Amino acid sequence: MAAEAISIRHAAGVYRRSIGAYLRSMAEYPADFWVMAVSGIFWQATLFGFIGVLFGNITTLGGWGYHEMLLLAGFLSVTGSSTALLWDGIWDVGKLIVEGDLDYRLTRPAPVLIQVGSKHVGMQAFGEMTMGTLMIVIGWTGAGLGLAQIPVALLLLLCGFVIQGALLTLANTANFWMKGRMPVVAFMLIELQLESMRFPLTVFPIAVRIGLTFVLPLAFASFVPVQILIGELDPLWLLAPPAAAALTGWIAALVFRLGLRAYDSAGH
Amino acid sequence: MARVDVAFATITFKRKIAYKTTWLFSIVFGGVSLLVGLAVWSHLIGDGEMGGYDWPAMKAYLIIGFVTSTLAWAGSDWEMANRILDGHVAIDLTKPIDFQRARAAEYIGGMVASVPAVVLGTLIAFLAFQPAPPASVLAVALTLCSVLLIFPLAFGLAFLCVLFCFVTQRFLGIQWARDSLLSFFSGMMIPIALMPGWLETIAWALPFVHFTTTPASIYLGRVDTAGALGLIAAQAAWAVGIWILARLVWGRLVKKVTIHGG
Repeated sequence: MAAEAISIRHAAGVYRRSIGAYLRSMAEYPADFWVMAVSGIFWQATLFGFIGVLFGNITTLGGWGYHEMLLLAGFLSVTGSSTALLWDGIWDVGKLIVEGDLDYRLTRPAPVLIQVGSKHVGMQAFGEMTMGTLMIVIGWTGAGLGLAQIPVALLLLLCGFVIQGALLTLANTANFWMKGRMPVVAFMLIELQLESMRFPLTVFPIAVRIGLTFVLPLAFASFVPVQILIGELDPLWLLAPPAAAALTGWIAALVFRLGLRAYDSAGH
Repeated sequence: MARVDVAFATITFKRKIAYKTTWLFSIVFGGVSLLVGLAVWSHLIGDGEMGGYDWPAMKAYLIIGFVTSTLAWAGSDWEMANRILDGHVAIDLTKPIDFQRARAAEYIGGMVASVPAVVLGTLIAFLAFQPAPPASVLAVALTLCSVLLIFPLAFGLAFLCVLFCFVTQRFLGIQWARDSLLSFFSGMMIPIALMPGWLETIAWALPFVHFTTTPASIYLGRVDTAGALGLIAAQAAWAVGIWILARLVWGRLVKKVTIHGG
């Protein structure tokens, strides 16, 4: 038990130093930061604009009003961009494998997954997070949610981040077996999420709803949390996102370990 | 078109067509977007109409959106950007070939490689979803003209954005900003007709609108023949205008190239 606590503290220390080093390096290139942050704002502004234009023509979509839709989009943006902020290095798994760079990580006395996940920060996250928070605040006040629900929302956002990070890890881990530099599966995951999860799942056929909830649990990162907050689901459902987060996190760590076992270096 | 242009286009075409992932991306990315669009808009429109689109017309609009978005994102933006970012542009300057023209040939060659996937996807979508038929035979011909003009227009915008690499030394942020503007103001995300008047005016004043709204409007007969010809002329004018603008920007920014070493 004590040994486990030490190893968790060690992993946390490695993560903090690694991501800290990248954040410090960002300060050296302010123009780069602003270009990326503004591009993040652009993406989320189009999502905001899309909802605004849509609800200029309709009053509900799948039973959801304008403010509920903004909450949904906000959750999607904040949980999605939190992976760019805190776990962006995971996108490099394929590149590290093809270039043999994973060898360096394997020889260091620190967990490989932590080293990879923390090696990079997606600076667009700062813009996305700003717009995502703005959408949540407008949706929150418009939907009449109170301050008392903020702790629940924070817990749900945390679960959303873990689920998003775990699924992204799983998708990138596929490159251990696919042997390509491009994170094809991860691109598809993001595309699927961007296209489908900005709408309430109620507009889709039942098979799609089940698939996006229980097979690929993207719904637990945005749709289910918002349903819980607006009171569309029984409070017992509050147990579901943490369970989904724990399960996906555990599976991702396990599969990454299997991937490392399958790794046979690039060879020189 | 000179032989050298065809050679550049052929090389990129062959390179792109050889990769199975290119095919997979075109079908999956465009296909997911199309299917989600169909599910959402069928839910919203039902038996009624929105912005002048009934359900069969909206199906046609979404399929045209699939065609145009797949084409718009099929070019090799990063190959152009990397030439500037990794300094290859210095070697390009020593070659007796116009940089912009060579990149245009390569870019369009890359776009052509996505055509088989587009044709296949469109055929399947037409058979499976039975969208509204075209307004007339002439409308089909003019729609094709408009789709063809997407090739130079897409290159022009991409090239103009790539030139910013001389200043920023990075491309990803610029590419994302362009992509978000394109997807919103083209009508790929939501038809322009649903936007409030002021936003619709802004959209029509930008080149992005010609990526989806123009071909779809012509196909569905939302504009008469004169209107269609006017839109195509505007699209062509944007393609030419952006080409000239990019040349002027290139002339200024290329002076930033610094060649080290010996």
